[in-house]
Amino acid sequence: MLKIKNITKSFGSLTALDNISLDIEKGEFFGLLGPNGAGKTTLINTIIGYLEPELGNVSIDGEDITIENTQLRKKIGYVPQEIALYLELTAYQNLKIFGSIFDLKGNELEKKINEVMELVQLTDRKKDKVKDFSGGMKRRINLAVSLLHNPDIILCDEPTVGVDPQSRNAIFEMLHDLNKEGKTILYTTHYMEEAERLCSRLAIIDNGKIIAQGTLVDLINMLEQKETIKIQKTAFTQDKISAISDMGIISEHDFYYELIVNDKYKQHSKTFIRLEEEGIHNEFVQVSRATLEDVFLNLTGRSLRD
Amino acid sequence: MKNIYHLVIKDIIRFLNDKPAVILTFVVPMLLIIIFGNVFGGKGSGPRGKTNIILVNNSNSVVADLIESKLDTSKSLRMIKKYLPADSKDSVLFDEESAKEFVRGGKIMAAIVMPKDFFLDTSSALKFKFYYDPKNEIESAIVQGAMQQTIMTQIPKVMPIILKRKAINYIGSDSTARFYRDMTKTVTKYFGVDSDSFMSELTKVDSSSLFNSSADTSAEANFMGNIIQFDNEQLVGKEISNPGLTRSVGGWAMMFLLFSITGAATSLFEEKQEGTLKRLLCMSVSRADILWSKYIYSTMLGVFQLLVLFVFSWAFFDIDIFSNFFNLMIVIIVSAMAAVSFAMIITATTKTASQANGVSMLLILVMSALGGSWFPIQFMPEWMQTGSKATMTYWSVEAFLSVLWRNAPLSSVYTNIVVLLVFTLLLNAYSLVRFRNGRVF
Ligand SMILES: Nc1ncnc2c1ncn2[C@@H]1O[C@H](COP(=O)(O)OP(=O)(O)O)[C@@H](O)[C@H]1O
Ligand SMILES: [Mg+2]
Repeated sequence: MLKIKNITKSFGSLTALDNISLDIEKGEFFGLLGPNGAGKTTLINTIIGYLEPELGNVSIDGEDITIENTQLRKKIGYVPQEIALYLELTAYQNLKIFGSIFDLKGNELEKKINEVMELVQLTDRKKDKVKDFSGGMKRRINLAVSLLHNPDIILCDEPTVGVDPQSRNAIFEMLHDLNKEGKTILYTTHYMEEAERLCSRLAIIDNGKIIAQGTLVDLINMLEQKETIKIQKTAFTQDKISAISDMGIISEHDFYYELIVNDKYKQHSKTFIRLEEEGIHNEFVQVSRATLEDVFLNLTGRSLRD
Repeated sequence: MKNIYHLVIKDIIRFLNDKPAVILTFVVPMLLIIIFGNVFGGKGSGPRGKTNIILVNNSNSVVADLIESKLDTSKSLRMIKKYLPADSKDSVLFDEESAKEFVRGGKIMAAIVMPKDFFLDTSSALKFKFYYDPKNEIESAIVQGAMQQTIMTQIPKVMPIILKRKAINYIGSDSTARFYRDMTKTVTKYFGVDSDSFMSELTKVDSSSLFNSSADTSAEANFMGNIIQFDNEQLVGKEISNPGLTRSVGGWAMMFLLFSITGAATSLFEEKQEGTLKRLLCMSVSRADILWSKYIYSTMLGVFQLLVLFVFSWAFFDIDIFSNFFNLMIVIIVSAMAAVSFAMIITATTKTASQANGVSMLLILVMSALGGSWFPIQFMPEWMQTGSKATMTYWSVEAFLSVLWRNAPLSSVYTNIVVLLVFTLLLNAYSLVRFRNGRVF
């Protein structure tokens, strides 16, 4: 349904998108995972026709999207990364303005406004100014505006940045429901947990290149080791971690270290014995299933958050 | 088309919800109009404050007494003639020395002295002495203006005497007498005036008759006066109830027009920053729609703002906007269009809102000062006045002045309108090129 073919886009000497191709099927919940600056927003901008790529093209149901082709864009519901709302106006005024540009009017518009406000659970805040909303509520209105015209494809550009956990869950559920109703969703994020939770298929983007794509299982299966070792960060383990650098790739996170062991430590028992020897007690060690984070680390040698 | 309509509505709703913009657009200029209206007088003002000045009349001349009595009843000046010396209980009359002392000491702004030789029997000119403190130069100029006005209204009565004396000085009394006879003959022949009374009016040297003849009833006795008064009316043109404000209202309106419209146009930057522009663009809105909507909205706002300010000046300060309303409307629309083109070129040549605000602030202030928004450009040196003509403010302010002041027909502001339209066209053409190159959004 949404075909992205050989898209290349540069800003000066920086190649923000390097020959990107993606094929998103109808009804899919497709994730685009990548660190900040990977090119996610730039890709979305070319999909909505806001930026013109130097090479390649984007098509919906076989029809090319261009800057001039404004009608085709009505099939897209675009949820920008920033809060693209008139902050001085009320939620209702915002919906009314954008709704009228979607050619909705009168009762139909009112009905649609009530519907999306219901969906994002902000009906009781309709008459309040957007600038007085919490981050999560703004995000939800930001999403509601994009749904007014009942689009087939929803492009969500990091819709949960700066959102409290409660709103975040509400957004997840809303998108999940919309997907179940048959909407195609393209969802970008730099949170691997979100990608894992929501997406039926995903692509990993880094430095303007798609470095892997497939289902979650496909991607995990790319790893030789489907499991990783997590070592809790404590006052004791912190000093000892450098001593085990020969065991594999170690990445540091806020509250733990992650160790992807090399062949020599394939067997967990060997790992635990070595760690014990180094003074890292088993109480602090845990075996986990590999995540997209590991896939990214494996592919790039860097962590997603770097 | 539909998109443009909705976008304009959007801009209007946004404007109405933006209190600072509404205040800058309407309230601030209204306050300025109130201040100016009151400074210059008008319906809305209370009793006019009078300026104190010292008057010393040392002349025995009837003319001096006449002028003194007129100055005493002046609406803008109060004549102070006595003072209370430090060591005495009784106030004494000012003389020239004590008057000068008061001015020097800063106790009073100015003093007028009519000296002994103010208007001698042989004088053919009035001789005033005016003492002032240079620090009060502007006020002194105003006082002199008020004095001249008072004296000028008396001139018709003094004029014949002065003229006659000049004539005698030049050509001797015999020739003068002959001239009067011939003159009387001619006037009698062509104007049918009674020759005796005309002759007596012409030859009347006795200035004591001044007070009597000032009774404006006898057309004949006031023959000379009428001639001069006629000229007077030509100069003023139509009756203007608040000349000071009439002169400045167009200038102030134009300056605030530039400010508010630049604000309206540079909201493009905010919308780009906030991402709403991108949201619109990925709907069925084109870049051309957005530009058109900005042009239309800004022009509408400008026309509305000017209209509100003029109606306000009419309602509270009697500025006559309706006797020449059609032409005023044309000037309003053309000025708004020119201001929009200025705002658009600012938007097209700067990169951020703060850059646009800085540049436009500077340019608007310079244009307003140079173009005559703040004071008549006649106050400026010649070379500066040449610069004035390079500003759209000048052409617009002059056009407002013409239609408000002189009730000018459209043809007399034709040049102004054409110049403003040329400004509009050139600036718009350049910004469109920039917009097309995608430098803005
Ligand atoms: N308008 C632009 N001009 C110059 N560089 C840009 C512009 N937009 C994005 N970039 C650069 O392109 C790269 C990708 O940016 P972006 O698509 O925003 O990343 P992401 O959304 O994945 O965080 C970054 O290096 C960014 O600095
Ligand atoms: Mg981004």
